[in-house]
Amino acid sequence: MLELDEKFFARFGVDYSPNEIIFCEYEPGYEFYFIQKGRVKIVKIINDREKTIDVLSTGDVFGEMSILEEEPRSATAIAVDVVRVFKFHRDNFDTLLQGNPQLAYKLLLIFSKRIYDAKRRLMILLLEEPSVKVMDVMIMLAEQNPQFDVEGEIIINTTASQIASWAGMADSEVQKELTHLARVAKIDLFEDRIAVKNIRDFQRIVTSRRKNLYS
Amino acid sequence: MAGGMQGGIITRSYKSGSIIYFENDKSEYIYILKSGRVLLTYTKIDTGEEIKEDVRQGEFFGVKSALGKYPREETAQTIGETLVLVLTLADFERLILKNVNVVRKMLRVFSNQLRRIGKTVRTVLGDSDSVSPDVELFRIGEHYYKAGDLTKASYAFKRYMEYYPDTDYAKVAMDRIKSISSGTVSTSSAGTKTVVASDSDLDDFAMDDSPDDMFSMDDAVSADSGGTGDSEDFTLSSELSSEMNDFLTDSDDSLDDFGDFSFDEPAAETSSGLKARFNEGVAHLDMNNCSAAAAVFQEIIDEGPPVKEHEKKFFIDSYFYAGRCFFEMKKYKEAMTFFAEIIKNYQDGENFKGTLFYIGDIFASAGQKEKALAYYNRVLNMTPKDALNSRALDKIKGLQKS
Repeated sequence: MLELDEKFFARFGVDYSPNEIIFCEYEPGYEFYFIQKGRVKIVKIINDREKTIDVLSTGDVFGEMSILEEEPRSATAIAVDVVRVFKFHRDNFDTLLQGNPQLAYKLLLIFSKRIYDAKRRLMILLLEEPSVKVMDVMIMLAEQNPQFDVEGEIIINTTASQIASWAGMADSEVQKELTHLARVAKIDLFEDRIAVKNIRDFQRIVTSRRKNLYS
Repeated sequence: MAGGMQGGIITRSYKSGSIIYFENDKSEYIYILKSGRVLLTYTKIDTGEEIKEDVRQGEFFGVKSALGKYPREETAQTIGETLVLVLTLADFERLILKNVNVVRKMLRVFSNQLRRIGKTVRTVLGDSDSVSPDVELFRIGEHYYKAGDLTKASYAFKRYMEYYPDTDYAKVAMDRIKSISSGTVSTSSAGTKTVVASDSDLDDFAMDDSPDDMFSMDDAVSADSGGTGDSEDFTLSSELSSEMNDFLTDSDDSLDDFGDFSFDEPAAETSSGLKARFNEGVAHLDMNNCSAAAAVFQEIIDEGPPVKEHEKKFFIDSYFYAGRCFFEMKKYKEAMTFFAEIIKNYQDGENFKGTLFYIGDIFASAGQKEKALAYYNRVLNMTPKDALNSRALDKIKGLQKS
């Protein structure tokens, strides 16, 4: 928790009522938020449905990408109940760190993770063949569950369009690859998930293709 | 390898050529190089190039993979007899909580890395794969609108209008906002507001009432009769600036509200997206969120003039809008600081006329009728004529009656 004086709160504290949008996907954003009280859900509209990606609560940080990026918001933040946040413009970042080392540590964790994810995605994007990209997205999604067992069948909760966005491909192209993989019995396709029969196969293929990239 | 304890933290000594960890190892230890040499070897993702990097003494290594709990991305090998401190995550947390500067430095390094990766990702994607944010924002509005979640719909449409007012769906978005709020659209604008001078308005600043300081339009013009419009402007502006300097001499600390804002980032890095930020400030002001708006404009100003030519307008206009913010908050002295910049340096800007008008308003509020008249007159005589000219005339008539 941030422990800050009244003056600080007067300047940076903002209250939201239940169901109020804090920021909206695709709007420009220059602030990041630190939850003081209440819960905030992070949602995206996918296929015209509001899908909850995460629910955050007291002590959590969100919108932190705005510290680094000029990109529009990548998701919508909505107050679940009465929410009090500190809202910081990225230009106040240094001042903020000075008084709040815990926040600093938390941000280190968040960024470490994000750098890894970004690199991992880059590795997918750099692959040349569409079919290999699709496989590597599935490997990456599988890796996100640290307990995943390479020996057995793996269930990945994802859709063709999510894979497409990771791989930087068109939905239809991914759909084609997935259909093919299903036809040769490498995977089973469901509406909201994919069952991968033998992820090791995919890992072998991807590793060898990646090696060839550099040679 | 020998071990020892130092303040609860383990010190390890390695012989030359020892591997501290291998790429793809999983471990939660973080290291600090105490003495000797450590070489990190990793493969660049995009080129496959093998990179070797020396750790400097006193520097951390193995931080990201330990914190992020993912496999090591590099191999760490010693050269010569080497001493390292080995920290657990708990040690690390304890240590950095006492050294925020270290964290800040790391975050900067991390953010640069992330930025670089992000840049490569965008390059690989051809930079144009992304959807256009304006259309998508509108779609989100539509989603909530159709779902009957009008608060959210209204939010999305309003943001759409704020950031993308000139785009395809502006009219539809506007109609939606109107239908949601059943036709009540806020029209708060500083220009149409009646300025009521009161004693409390004067609290913020000290006025020099000596007749010498009186500014008269006639004097300025006669001092330069026969001159061109430009030189008249010059005379006027130098008069104005000296007058404003007087106005500002009695400094107080009110602007120090911004004193603890920090602007470490070089201007070049933060100035992109200037337009959006500027619009954000305007939006705040439109919603009467004056102090938030002022902070935005102050930030833009403090970053200094942008490099990109087309962004200069927003920088200059920020003075005008910052002035307006403080004007709205009745902090006339602060307002004057910003307006003075326009008068001194940016007479060509499109808000020069508006600035003169506001200065008139400020003097009117301060009960300085003569000065107010001078400024309103100046507005009145400016071409091309627009609504501001007639508003100036109204103001003059009003002042003459009083």
